[in-house]
Amino acid sequence: MTATLAHPSPPVTHLAPAARAVGATKVYGHGDTAVAALGGVDVEFHAQRFTAMMGPSGSGKSTLMHSVAGLDTLTSGSVYVGDTDLSSLNDRQLTLLRRDKIGFIFQAFNLVPTLTALENITLPLALAGRRADPAWLELVVGTVGLSNRLSHRPSELSGGQQQRVAVARALASRPEIIFGDEPTGNLDSRTGAEILTFMRRAVEELGQTIVMVTHDPVAASYAQRVVFLADGQIVDEMVEPTPERVLDRLKKFGA
Amino acid sequence: MFRTTLKNLAAHKLRLLTTSLAVLLGVAFMAGTLVLTDTIGKTFDGLISDINAGTSVHVRSDVTTENELTSAQRARVDTSLADTIARVDGVQAAEPYVEAYARLVDKEGDAMGNPDLGAPTVGGNWMTTPSLNPTDLVHGREPRAGDEVVIDKASADTAGFRVGDPVQVLTQAGTLDQTVVGIATFAGEDSPGGASYTMFTTEAALANLTQPGKADAIKVAATEGTGDAELAARIADVVPDDLQVLTGAEITAEDQASLRDEMSFFNTFLLVFALIALFVGSFIIYNSFSIIVAQRGKEMALLRAIGASRRQVLGSVLLESVAVGLVASVVGLFAGIGVASVLKALFEAVGVDIPAGSVVVTGNTVLVSMIAGFGVSVASALLPARRASRVPPIAAMRAVATDDSSSSRSRKVIGALLGVSGASALVAGTVGSSGLALVGLGALLVFVATLVLGPVLATPVSWLLGAPLPRLRGMSGTLARQNAMRSPKRTSATAAALMIGVTLVVFISILGASTKASVEASVEESFTGDLVVSSGAVGQAGGLPADLTDAVRRLPEVGAATGLRVAPAEVEGSGQPLYAADVQALQQIVEVDEHAGSFADLGSTRIAVDEQVAEDEGWEVGDAVTVAFADTGEQAFTIAALYEATPTLGQYFVDLSTFEANVADRFDNQVLVAFADSVGVDAGRTAIERVADGYPQAEVQDRAAYAAAQTEQMDMILSLIYALLGLAVLIALLGIANTLALSIFERTRELGLLRAVGMTRSQLRSAVRWEAVIIALLGTALGLGLGTLFGWSMVDGLRDEGLTTLSIPTTQLVVVTVVAALAGTAAAVLPARRASRLDVLGAIVSE
Repeated sequence: MTATLAHPSPPVTHLAPAARAVGATKVYGHGDTAVAALGGVDVEFHAQRFTAMMGPSGSGKSTLMHSVAGLDTLTSGSVYVGDTDLSSLNDRQLTLLRRDKIGFIFQAFNLVPTLTALENITLPLALAGRRADPAWLELVVGTVGLSNRLSHRPSELSGGQQQRVAVARALASRPEIIFGDEPTGNLDSRTGAEILTFMRRAVEELGQTIVMVTHDPVAASYAQRVVFLADGQIVDEMVEPTPERVLDRLKKFGA
Repeated sequence: MFRTTLKNLAAHKLRLLTTSLAVLLGVAFMAGTLVLTDTIGKTFDGLISDINAGTSVHVRSDVTTENELTSAQRARVDTSLADTIARVDGVQAAEPYVEAYARLVDKEGDAMGNPDLGAPTVGGNWMTTPSLNPTDLVHGREPRAGDEVVIDKASADTAGFRVGDPVQVLTQAGTLDQTVVGIATFAGEDSPGGASYTMFTTEAALANLTQPGKADAIKVAATEGTGDAELAARIADVVPDDLQVLTGAEITAEDQASLRDEMSFFNTFLLVFALIALFVGSFIIYNSFSIIVAQRGKEMALLRAIGASRRQVLGSVLLESVAVGLVASVVGLFAGIGVASVLKALFEAVGVDIPAGSVVVTGNTVLVSMIAGFGVSVASALLPARRASRVPPIAAMRAVATDDSSSSRSRKVIGALLGVSGASALVAGTVGSSGLALVGLGALLVFVATLVLGPVLATPVSWLLGAPLPRLRGMSGTLARQNAMRSPKRTSATAAALMIGVTLVVFISILGASTKASVEASVEESFTGDLVVSSGAVGQAGGLPADLTDAVRRLPEVGAATGLRVAPAEVEGSGQPLYAADVQALQQIVEVDEHAGSFADLGSTRIAVDEQVAEDEGWEVGDAVTVAFADTGEQAFTIAALYEATPTLGQYFVDLSTFEANVADRFDNQVLVAFADSVGVDAGRTAIERVADGYPQAEVQDRAAYAAAQTEQMDMILSLIYALLGLAVLIALLGIANTLALSIFERTRELGLLRAVGMTRSQLRSAVRWEAVIIALLGTALGLGLGTLFGWSMVDGLRDEGLTTLSIPTTQLVVVTVVAALAGTAAAVLPARRASRLDVLGAIVSE
């Protein structure tokens, strides 16, 4: 199936990019031992879209995401969140950017064990000294179905519930963009499907922007667009993916 | 297994160092104490033996009067004895020897030295026989006339005296105008162990320092070829039986032993603080090893799973504690040499001069340091090591678990039982009469109960102490509070180390404040006079010559005045300070609370006794008691009155005439004064000050100044104790820093997450800092509670000993709390910096 290449994704130019990378290059080590994790990547992540990034181990997908999310720095090139060039920011400015404009969903250890579910959800807001918009918070909490678990500690929640809290936290501050790092990697397929459904609804119904790294074709199929990386380059992309098409595309990497 | 442990140690050098530091400081203090006392001991041993080197035989009285306040008072001997002894075959020379109070006045008119706290100010006679004279003249010549003196080189250098200078010397015969004719050293030292020494002709010394015809001893030099022991035996045959005849070696050994004896108190005093420091350090070691073992649980389980025995796991943890002990004892020993000089400076800062020669490190010091360092480290690690060896191999498959468990039921039950029995003992001790032992037992039980209940208390108390934080510091505050509450065992063990120091500080300050308040209240009550002229001297360390009292009494502004004297005496065989004054004058100046009989009846062979003492001894007015004096021996007395003891009157009191009949020394300790009617305070004071100006040691004090002077010495001792307890507090702060550092290591992923979702470095630092403050305040709060409880019980238990007023020094306790909170912040500086420099990406992506 080569449909993606024959029929490139429909133009979305009416949507401004929520984040983008320009000539993003990341080299580890130097001299003879230098390894390029990213070899000059240009990519845009459109607002109010759910994008998945896929690729074999060492393809650079995690490095790209960490760089765009302000957790890692590039060797050369630039990344922008909105109009902000991240390479011009110091540690404190990057931290405030992550707090105010970015949401995170990690694979595991997403929650602070000493805080309740509600405190975890509002953590970035509390760090900023702001109060959550009550209507929005209620909508988010209701959407992920946590209304009766808010006073529980993470240790009292199942793995799936913990990830739902993480999704709610990522949404609570209405960030410009949410990054997910294998958010369903530790969950069974049914619970994973639940979480991915919430993420898709957050994009479609609440107008959020999500970028997710995954190696699971089923998870990727919940996204509206899949970007494929290999050897530090973007090698392909696909819109309205299905698990079968994604799997077929991935098989080519093995060849 | 051995190699694994060594690799582990190598990988955590910093941790090894910080953990060791907790014990190292205690070891250093202990080694420092031993080095200092050994050094002082050796200096004096050498000095004493050099000074006595030429003495073949020493003859003195057999009669001594024991006393609680000063060393034994020995009766004097007749100087004519020297002539008797001189005729014995083998005697080259025999000379009277005098040693008594004499204090130099410097060129500014101030009395030199501080005989109450520092080295003594001594006067004596210039021995004309070269072998009996321990000094070497470096300038001038020996004294030949009554107004000539030789002084020690140290005093001459301090005050700038030269040969030919006039000098005033304070003696019991008054202020003497003398001329410096020589400056001398003692066995090569500028001064004999820090003391000032003024030497008169023998005649002048007898007239001014002791009493004519009476010397402290007769010193004898043997002719060449005569053995000391042989000569002593011959002399013993010709002198009366109530004299002791000692060889030079015997008197040297005795002087050295008595000095060692006096020093042993000083030694014990310091060692108590070293032990406290080591005890606090043991908490830090226990806690650090508990945390390390918990963090390495998975690794230990893996070792067990691949075939390591329990014993091997136990051994590997203990080996690490041996490494800690090694660093602590070896570095501690060397640091101790530095500590010795710090201690010396500390004592000098509060006015106690310590002479010391070159540093002495004995085998004993090395051994004790090693035992302390290894013992505390290994013993404290024993429980955590046992816990490690019990990790089941299956734990290797489980997630890393830290010990966040809450407290067991048995802990609560045992703690509560200990607490209740301790509290009962405290109450019983304060209510009953034989209370002190019970108070001590109760305090110990309550203390142990607090340690046992620590983990139970840690969570609610941290919750309470941290309550304002979320509002004050937002999310950082919330996290600080939650982190302090999450591992109650860890938090309580860390806080307990600080609790010990704070408990002792609070206890001592309440005891000190209450003693001061009691003394002041009792002075207020009993001191009805208008002024006191004080010598600043206590007991036998000199005083005011009687002519000052006479001069004051003759002033038209003065209505009544009397000298107050104190001397040691044995009442029914027990050594006591005996007080005396002119009773007639005294009754016009001071209000005496007579319970039975009357002070007016005090005459020769009559004594008044404190009512409390009389009750304990079963004495009543009219009973006969034997009073033994150093100068006149045993005398039969009758009890004339029972009264309430005060700092001015003491517990045993006689009339001045009775005192003078039995005590040779003629010093007034102080002069009590009441103004004549219609004389104003200012006019009276001015008149008396004009008289006192001629006496450099005299100080004119009103009631408030007098009360303050009574407690002045205690203030200095209190500051010394606070400074020494500071060490225990410092170690506790190291413990807080260590615990935080280990906790931060354990929370790497959590901190990474917080930083990823937007916690700034300063917010993270703030969270760590406030966690430290909560732990510090937890320790302080518990210490305040315990210290106040113990202080109150102790003061109540000492009610009968004169501690009538309980005083809680609130300001001081507030200061303690604030300082503890600030110290907590200081302890958090390094861990907080470490936390804020965490590699965010590394923390969140690492598996």
